[in-house]
Amino acid sequence: MGLADLRLPSSVAPPAPPKWRRTGRRRLRQLATAGPFILPSLAGVVVFLLIPVVLVLLLSFVKWNFLQPPHWAGFANFVTMARYHHVFHSLAITAYYVLWNIPVQTVIALALAMLLNRRLPGMGLFRALYVLPYMSTPVAMAVVWSWLFQAQNGLVNRLLLIAGLHGPNWLGDQATALPVIAMMATWQYAGYNMLFFLAGLQTIPSQLYESASIDGASGWQQFRRITLPLLNPTMLFVLVTDVIGSFQVFDQVYVTTQGGPGSATEVINYNIYATGFQNFDVGSASAMSLLLFGVILVITVLQFRFFRNRTTYEVS
Amino acid sequence: MTTAARASRYAGFYLCLAVIAVVFVGPYLLAFFAAFKTEAGVYGTAPWSPPHSLYLANFTTVLNRDGFLRFLENTAGVTIALTAGQVTFGVLAAYAFARLEFPGRDWLFSLYLATLMVPNVVTLVPLYTMMRQFHLINTYWALFLPYLLGAPYTIFLMRQYFRSLPSEVFAAARVDGCSELRILTRILLPMGRPIIVTATLIAFVFGWNNFLWPLIVTDSPSKQVLTVGIAGLQSYFVSHWNLVLAGSLVALVPLLAIFAVFQKQIVRSIQLSGVNR
Repeated sequence: MGLADLRLPSSVAPPAPPKWRRTGRRRLRQLATAGPFILPSLAGVVVFLLIPVVLVLLLSFVKWNFLQPPHWAGFANFVTMARYHHVFHSLAITAYYVLWNIPVQTVIALALAMLLNRRLPGMGLFRALYVLPYMSTPVAMAVVWSWLFQAQNGLVNRLLLIAGLHGPNWLGDQATALPVIAMMATWQYAGYNMLFFLAGLQTIPSQLYESASIDGASGWQQFRRITLPLLNPTMLFVLVTDVIGSFQVFDQVYVTTQGGPGSATEVINYNIYATGFQNFDVGSASAMSLLLFGVILVITVLQFRFFRNRTTYEVS
Repeated sequence: MTTAARASRYAGFYLCLAVIAVVFVGPYLLAFFAAFKTEAGVYGTAPWSPPHSLYLANFTTVLNRDGFLRFLENTAGVTIALTAGQVTFGVLAAYAFARLEFPGRDWLFSLYLATLMVPNVVTLVPLYTMMRQFHLINTYWALFLPYLLGAPYTIFLMRQYFRSLPSEVFAAARVDGCSELRILTRILLPMGRPIIVTATLIAFVFGWNNFLWPLIVTDSPSKQVLTVGIAGLQSYFVSHWNLVLAGSLVALVPLLAIFAVFQKQIVRSIQLSGVNR
């Protein structure tokens, strides 16, 4: 019991209320104090997050097009999403996108961090310039990129022409459209992720590198044996958050290719949008978003497992 | 190593950094160049050649296009409302989680943390059906209501920061008989300023860039936001790249300006959000 709960003794002490009632009253008082602080955000979480999560489960079992009343459909939506909305194709496309995006982006981010992790003049300026793309509106930047990657007269193909090469119709070609969109995201988020690696690198004590080089370890060995293991927590954070974001790519696809050419860039989020809000198949769109939720959850758990099983060395 | 060798190594290092910087800044710069060229200039000159003069007609054409100024107003209004609500209610909740004792607090906080695992797209369809049910489609409410009452992510960030503040200050204020509200305004707001600025920036950038949700809950130009307007520019001004790029810059420049002013805070705030404390 805290100091605040002690009552001043009065001349005639009234019989003390039973203990459960006292703690009950204290709890009520605490709730009355905390209530106004917590209730607005709690209402937001319940109404705009928890209820929708329950609702999406229900919606995935009904047929509904927003107009006629919904009716129970059992597992029909899960069949429809595979058969008519080619959800597994979309999932494969999305995985392909994530593989083009995440490894390159993470390697570049780490390389940039190691490049800037030194005490030299101007590092702050370069750090700011590298983070700049993070501040761009994805929709607007995607417009700029589709101009740069035009078949004719686009910057990229003009530069290639100078080198004597004929570039493809980047966003209009099934082979190159998705990699170009992935490159766009890499450009936007590499500098942002660099900041996490920079923060991580600064926690590694320099004595470790000093004693390693006295022992004759090469630069690569130091990177493999000191830098990478000690960056494990940062790596986990970066990969988990980036993979979740990457699986939900939408804006850039909507602006540059609308899922095309053919269905080469029909990532799952675009498919959910098209199914739910262009074909008005609410049930299938819900089922698809549940599937995506499941996939993201499994991948996140796997990442946590992978990084937990690798030894991290405590530095004292 | 001789001084000359060392100097050339430094020169190589900085040259390398500069080349990388060109890759990151280039797309902005080229878009700026093109937005100030005439249409003939965009097609007749190389993308990397600067415009001859500041030709402003592209911007006036785009802004005079029916509705475009309205898109900008809508985005500004929605973003400000969303940011104000999210930060206010977020600070209140984070303060309660960090500094108040009440039954069920830790359980409730774990619930907030658990919601961080839910990808946005999962709530897209059900939220839309809810908005429809309440006849909010095509209203300003639909645009910011789902985000107004606070975001678990920023509540989490602020709670962590508030907990790291020295508890003696709060205890002393309570002994002096300060109300919780007074503690919040007089102690927490000044001491928690860095993280509150962070939360404000996160909310603002989110609101400004938000696209998929506004795309589905609005269909009349009077309620649509800038991102939705820009996504339609390419089909509206087909291959008039000078106009399309000028329109895109209308969205890009305000965030660039914010970055120029708050660069230090933004960099620090991103790093704060990555630290597991």
